[in-house]
Amino acid sequence: MDLILQQMVNAVSLGGIYALLALGLAVVFSIVRLINFAHGEVMTVAGYGIWIALASAWPVAAAVALGLAVAILAAVSMERVAFRAMRGADVTTLLITSFAVSEIIKVLFQNGISARPVPVVLPAWMSGTLDLGPVRIGVIALISILTVALSLVLLSVFLRRTVMGLAMRAAAEDFPVVRLMGLRANHVIALAFAVSGILAGVAAVLWVAQRGSVDPLMGAAPVLKAFIATVLGGLGSLTGAVIGGFVVGAVEVCLQGFLPQSLLPYREAISLALIIAVLVWRPDGLWPAEQTSRS
Amino acid sequence: MTDATVPHPWQAAAEALLLVAVVLAGVLAVAVVFGLPGQRAATLFCVNLCAVLAIQVFSGTSGVVSFGHTAFMLVGAYVSAWVTMPATMLGRSLPELPGWMGGYELPGSLGLLLAAVVGAALALGSGLAIARLSGASGAIATLGFLIIVYTVMAAAQHLTGGNRAFWGIPRTTDLWIAAAAAAGFLLVARLFRDGRTGLMLRAARDNEPAARALGIDPGRMRLRAWVLSGALAAMAGALYGHMLGAFTPRDFYFDLVFGLVAMMIVGGMGTVTGAVGGTALVMALQEGLQRLEGGVTLGPVSLPALFGLPTVGVSLAMLAVLLFRPAGLFGRRELPFPLPRRRAPPPPAPVSGAGGARLVIDRLGKQFAGLVALQDVSATIPAGRITGLIGPNGAGKSTLVNAVTGLGAATSGRITMGSSDLTHATPERVARAGIARSFQNIRLFGGLSVEENVAVPALARGLPAAVARATAARELAHVGLASDAARPAAALAYGARRRLEIARALAAAPVFLLLDEPAAGMNPEETADLATRLRDLPADRGIGIVLIDHDLGFVMGLCNHVIVLNRGQLIAEGTPAEVQGHPGVIEAYLGTRASGVARATMTEAEHSIATGEMQHG
Repeated sequence: MDLILQQMVNAVSLGGIYALLALGLAVVFSIVRLINFAHGEVMTVAGYGIWIALASAWPVAAAVALGLAVAILAAVSMERVAFRAMRGADVTTLLITSFAVSEIIKVLFQNGISARPVPVVLPAWMSGTLDLGPVRIGVIALISILTVALSLVLLSVFLRRTVMGLAMRAAAEDFPVVRLMGLRANHVIALAFAVSGILAGVAAVLWVAQRGSVDPLMGAAPVLKAFIATVLGGLGSLTGAVIGGFVVGAVEVCLQGFLPQSLLPYREAISLALIIAVLVWRPDGLWPAEQTSRS
Repeated sequence: MTDATVPHPWQAAAEALLLVAVVLAGVLAVAVVFGLPGQRAATLFCVNLCAVLAIQVFSGTSGVVSFGHTAFMLVGAYVSAWVTMPATMLGRSLPELPGWMGGYELPGSLGLLLAAVVGAALALGSGLAIARLSGASGAIATLGFLIIVYTVMAAAQHLTGGNRAFWGIPRTTDLWIAAAAAAGFLLVARLFRDGRTGLMLRAARDNEPAARALGIDPGRMRLRAWVLSGALAAMAGALYGHMLGAFTPRDFYFDLVFGLVAMMIVGGMGTVTGAVGGTALVMALQEGLQRLEGGVTLGPVSLPALFGLPTVGVSLAMLAVLLFRPAGLFGRRELPFPLPRRRAPPPPAPVSGAGGARLVIDRLGKQFAGLVALQDVSATIPAGRITGLIGPNGAGKSTLVNAVTGLGAATSGRITMGSSDLTHATPERVARAGIARSFQNIRLFGGLSVEENVAVPALARGLPAAVARATAARELAHVGLASDAARPAAALAYGARRRLEIARALAAAPVFLLLDEPAAGMNPEETADLATRLRDLPADRGIGIVLIDHDLGFVMGLCNHVIVLNRGQLIAEGTPAEVQGHPGVIEAYLGTRASGVARATMTEAEHSIATGEMQHG
C-alpha cells in the first residue's frame, strides 16, 4: 500500500512536469499549428539561467526568477527570429523549422557553455524528505506537485478570466476571426509563446531541482515525452495535453517500479508502444480538440 | 477529340534512366578527379542517396515527414552484419549473440536481401499503427517508432553490443556496389512515384477527402509506401554498415536522421530529382564546413573553433530553403526527358447498362447539435436522367450530398443503391459502389498534372495504367481540356478547374454523379458550354446525374426532374414546369411578398435577383 502511494506521488510529480511542457506545446500549436521541437531548448536555457544565478551566489528565489525570465525571453525571441517568417506555412514546414532551430541552439550550448553537464547546487533543505503518515515524500517532489497544481490553476484563471486569455482561447478556435475582431495577431502569438516559455521555465526549475545538473540536451528527453503527451491527449487540445502528460508520467513510473530487472532497459520502448497502441484505438487522442472547420 | 494525347508509355522510365545517368556521371567524375578521398566521398554519397530515396518514397508521396527511417537502417545494418560475418569473428565481437542468428558468411547480396525482408516485416508491423496517421501526428509517430527501435536495440546488449562498438563487419560496400545500389534505388523510387500506388497516395496527400470520394483508402496507400520504404531503408542501412565496418545503435539515431531529412528537405521532398540534388548539396556543405570546424585563419581574419559547425550550416540551409523555396531547391518538377506524346488509343467504351439502378433516400434526417439540417427527406433517383436538386441557401442540399457520399453520416433514415445499404458507408465504399461527386469548394489534386488528376480514379478502380491514361484522355476531351493535359492542375483557370473536377468524377465510371454547384462562379458562356457537355451523358452512358445549383436557368434547362429542398425538408418534386409553378417553391425562393406574383416562368431580372440574394445569403 505504502509502495503504491509512493509510486503515485512519483507519478504525479513526474507527470506534472510533462503536463507543463505538453501544455506549453499545445498552447502554441493550437494557435500557430507549430509543433515546437525547440521547446526543449527553452527548458535548457532556463536551466542554464538557474545555474549561472546559483553559481553567482544569488538567492534561490532570484535564481528561479532568472530561470523563468530567460525562458520567456528565449521562447518569444525564437518566435520573432525564426517562426514569424514561416507563419502560415503548413504543419510539416513549421515542424522542420523548429527541428532546425533546436539543432542550432544545441550546438551553441555545446560551444558556448559546455558539452558536459554543469552541476547545480541547491540548498540542503530541498533534498530532505517529509513523513506524511505512512508516506515518505521528498521535499522536491512535494514542491513539484504543488507548483504544477498552482501553475495549472493560474493558467486556467488567466485563460478564462482575462481579455488576453480569452483572446488566446478564441485564437485557438479560429485565428482569422480574432484578427477581424481587431486584436493584433503578433500580440496574441507572442503571448502564446511567452506562456509556453514560462511553463517550460517552471518545468526546468523542477527538473533541475530533481536532477542537480544542466547539460545541452537536458530539455530534449522530457520534451520528447511531452510531444507524445500532446499527441496522446489530442493535438491542439489543452486539456488533452495535461491529461496526456500525467498519463505518460504514470506509465513511466509504473514501468520503472513494477517491471522486472531484466526488462528495465526496455521501459521507454514499452511505454511508447503502449501509447501508440492507445493512438491506434483513438487516432485523435484521448481528449481531442473541438472540431472546427479549418481548411 | 482528335487532339487527345497521352504521355509516352516509357516517360517515367526514361526520366528515371536520365537521372541514373546524371548521378553515375557525377559520381564517376568525383571519384576520378579527387582520387581516393573522392572515391570515399562518392561512396558515401551513393549510400546517403539510397537512404534519402528510401525516406522520399514514403514522405514524398504521403507528405508525412518521417523521422523513423533510420530505425529500419539500424535493424538492416545489424541483420546484414550478423549473417555475412564469419562465425569466429562474430563470436569475438558479440560473444552473447545466439549462434543461430549469424555467422553464416553469406554473400553481401543475400545480406541485403535479408535486411530488406526484415525491414519490410518491421514496417508492416509498425505501419498498421503509423500509416493510419497523417500530417503532424504521423511525423511524431515516426519519431516514436525510432525511439522504440533504438531503445530496444541499444538495450539488447547480447544482440548489438549496446554502447560498445560492434566491429569486424566486412567492408564490402565499395564505390561500385554503392553506385549500383543508388541506380537501383533511383529506378524504384522514380517508378514508384509515378506508379499506381504513388499516384494515388500523392492524390490523397494533396486532398484527402477528394481522394476518398474517388474510392482511395489513404491509410492503405500509406501502408504500402511505408512497407516499400522500410525495406529500402533497411537495405540502405546494410550498405551503410558494410561501409563503416564498425558501429553502435547510436550511429543510427538523431544525428543521422537529421542529416538525411535535411538532404530531402533542401532538395525538395516531392521529387526524386530533389532527393538527388539535396543529397549532393548538403554533403558538399557538410564537407566544406567540416574543414572550418576546428577554427581557421585566413590572413588577418581568424575564426574560432565551433564544433558542430556542419550541423549549424545544414540547419541554416534548411531554414533558408523553407523560407524562400518551400518546395525545395529543385522544385516540384522531375528532371524531364523529352519523349513525344502519343495519340490517345481508343479507350474502353464507357460502362453503361446501369440503366436500372436507383438511388433511394428513405426518410433521411440529420442534426447538428440541435440544428435540424435534414428532416424526413425521401427521394428515389433513377439512373439515366438528370435530377435537379435546388433550394435556397441553408436548405440542406450539401448536407444531403455529404450524407449520401459518406462525408457526414445521417442521424436517421436509410440510403440504398440496389441491394447495398450506404447509410453508414465510408466515402471510399460509396465511391466503389458507383457514386462519384464534385465539390462545392473545388478539391483538385494540386501537385498532380491535369491528366494525372483524371487518371487517379481510373487507377483506383483497378484499370491497367495504359487504359487509365486513355480513359483520362477521353474524359478530358469530353470537358474540353485535352490540350491542357500535361499542365499542373494548380495552373488552370477557375472555370477549367470546375470542368476538371467533373472529368475526374466521370473517370471513376460512376452509376450516379453528384455535382455540387458545378456552375458556381462561371460566366454565362461557360455555364452554357457546361450544360451542352452534361446534357447527353445520361443517355450515352446510362448514368444518373444529380445536379445541385443556384442557377435556376441552368438547372431547369438540363433536368427532367427536380427536387426542391427548403429548411431541411422536401417541399416539391416534379418536372421543371411543375416545380416552377409550385407556390411553396416560389415562396421559398422569392419570399412571401413575392408569392402573389405566381408565374410559370420567372423573368430574367427576377431570376438574377433571386440567385443574387441566394449567393450572398
